[in-house]
Amino acid sequence: MTAGYLVEDEIGIVQGNILRGYKLPYVRHLVLEVADRTAARAFLGAAVAGDNPDVPQITTEQPDRPGVPKATVTFNLGFTWQGLKALGLADQELRSFPTEFIEGMTRRAAKLGDFGDSDPCHWPSPYRQPDRVHVIASVYATDEGELNTVQDQVSRSFKVIGVHNGYALPEGKVYFGYKDGMSQPRFVGFHGSGPRDGKNHRIVEPEDPLGTVLLGKPTRLRDLEYAIPQPDQLGRLGTFNAFRVLQQDCFGFEDFLTSTAELLQKQGVADRLVGNEHAKLVYPELKGRDALREVIAAQLCGRWRTGMPMQLAGILKSNPDAQPSNQFDYGSHALCPVGSHIRRNNPRGGEVVQRIANFTRRLIRRGMCYGHPLDLKRPDNLERGLLGNFIGASLGAQFEAVMCDWLNLGLNSPEITGSNDPLLGANTVETSWFDLNLWTEVKPKTIEKHRIHGLPRFVTTRGGAYTFLPTVAGISYLAGLRS
Amino acid sequence: MTSTPSWLDRFVDGLPDKGWFQFLARNLVVPYWVWRDPRPKLPGGPRSAPQSGENLQRMMNLIMPLKDPSPIGRAKAALVVAQNVDEIFAGLDNVGTVHNARFLLLGNNLCMISVYDGDFTNYIRDFIATIGSVFDAIMDLVEGGDDLKPTEQNIERFIDWVHAHDLFQVPDFPTDLFTLQDEARGLTGRDHSVLSLPRDYILQFHANPDVSLGGGYRAYPGVSAAQIRESQGMGW
Repeated sequence: MTAGYLVEDEIGIVQGNILRGYKLPYVRHLVLEVADRTAARAFLGAAVAGDNPDVPQITTEQPDRPGVPKATVTFNLGFTWQGLKALGLADQELRSFPTEFIEGMTRRAAKLGDFGDSDPCHWPSPYRQPDRVHVIASVYATDEGELNTVQDQVSRSFKVIGVHNGYALPEGKVYFGYKDGMSQPRFVGFHGSGPRDGKNHRIVEPEDPLGTVLLGKPTRLRDLEYAIPQPDQLGRLGTFNAFRVLQQDCFGFEDFLTSTAELLQKQGVADRLVGNEHAKLVYPELKGRDALREVIAAQLCGRWRTGMPMQLAGILKSNPDAQPSNQFDYGSHALCPVGSHIRRNNPRGGEVVQRIANFTRRLIRRGMCYGHPLDLKRPDNLERGLLGNFIGASLGAQFEAVMCDWLNLGLNSPEITGSNDPLLGANTVETSWFDLNLWTEVKPKTIEKHRIHGLPRFVTTRGGAYTFLPTVAGISYLAGLRS
Repeated sequence: MTSTPSWLDRFVDGLPDKGWFQFLARNLVVPYWVWRDPRPKLPGGPRSAPQSGENLQRMMNLIMPLKDPSPIGRAKAALVVAQNVDEIFAGLDNVGTVHNARFLLLGNNLCMISVYDGDFTNYIRDFIATIGSVFDAIMDLVEGGDDLKPTEQNIERFIDWVHAHDLFQVPDFPTDLFTLQDEARGLTGRDHSVLSLPRDYILQFHANPDVSLGGGYRAYPGVSAAQIRESQGMGW
């Protein structure tokens, strides 16, 4: 009866930042090698118990309680398969993990579109030696100083072989200028009762069963169960994470918007772009080519850079202060191009070729920006981008399934098959294409396609690893290993 | 520069046609090389590729050894397939990415041959999620199948099992075999002489006797099943 829900004992052992995101402005991901397994296990034991002032305590999912202040610094651990091996997990238990996790992100490169400049052979240290990437410790904090304290503590028991600093940009934006993280799965029995959002609006996206993220809970595919890695104490209610260091070519992206706007003007079709009718509502201050650039940005993503979905921007006519929401779906006359980023990665209830796949490949995304601050008026060649975490109960059925068949290849609709995601895809200038939506010239106006070519690869992978995020009970099990 | 082949070259080039050498090769040279430099069994199915056309119309040659290859066992297998025809059509329809599929009884095996779009694991997973019961019935017939039932609750292991029983696809471009062998052995940056290619092929066929020669030929490349259905007005 309660199998599909979480009882309080279960909620309390799931690591934080999985079911709900931390809203803290800084993150540091520490890439760790287990150099001394005895020291590492002792650290894990203390991190679960929280009884050692020199070891940070694992942050678990805790319901908000009145009067209890929210954490200002958090600490969580993900383990690669090599890391579990380094900690001394038995062979039979190691083999109980799914193949994609055992192989690790670098050996799945072809599926993930990590070729060309994104090929793992170009990744910087420590990802050149994936066998040494054992643990990724993630620290979120309100203050950068606290990150150093935790790093010092961790470095006494592990070898720190990589450090990634991330930060939240104002207004929840990411590089490329979009407001991000708008659509996240909401879980049955966890995010409040019934499919309603905070303003009591009905949510068009159904809530996801907990098995979407936690192993051992029911999935959306009725009888399909993902194997729980063994022993049960280690695997149950754990989940998997694809950690990705994604470099973004911000100047290349802005230049592409400009050159495409000029091309459409030259081709005489700029006036017919779907979204023109909303541009003055979303960006009242922009005119001409500047407004056109934003319409193109909206079509590539499926959302305006303000976060407003293309499907919903019409609301602004009656309510100029309307906030972006998730209350939309894709019908047969959707304004949003089929190939746009948000539609191809999460087709919602819209028609997809893989009929049973609607809502089955949902991912939790926890991303923060990294790298040198951006000043669009001063072009540079400095690295910046996103530290992404893509979380789900099955890397194969969720993250990889989206990456190889939808984000790239576009197998979800015959209209986009053979094309890649315009923002994140493994595009090459020579072969890439994207179909923009135009209004037809004749009345009644309907939507027709207008193909543009030559999209470069805007996002390059610079590192990453598949990790397992056990519960604190699972981490206790690792701490207690004796071999 | 090359000149007229010497007597030694002519002698060596003529060896493969000589009966005594064929006998020696079969019974001594090949066993020696298999011992000295064995090749790992290479994984089945098509390989991921950057070009979208390579990820469409991919071939599966699933060879499942029958528990009972006698005429009685074969008759049972034929009945299981016949009894599940409706479910199989429903499965094809729901998975959406399959061009065609068929079953064969060949040698001591039940074979499933299909052409599908996109990633292999997604294809198998979607099929199991739709018609797992059919595969459970098939697993009753084949060696190693009992451990995988119910397939819906052993989905990761079932996918690995299918992958292991899908025929290795010999590369269409012969020297690509070097890369595949090196990858499987965790070797990088090695140079290979094309002269060693026949030996590498022989050693590989020792590890993978049954193979698909190449990834198959496509009469209308780069087109998905859904695109064909759409172009014919069948709805996708």
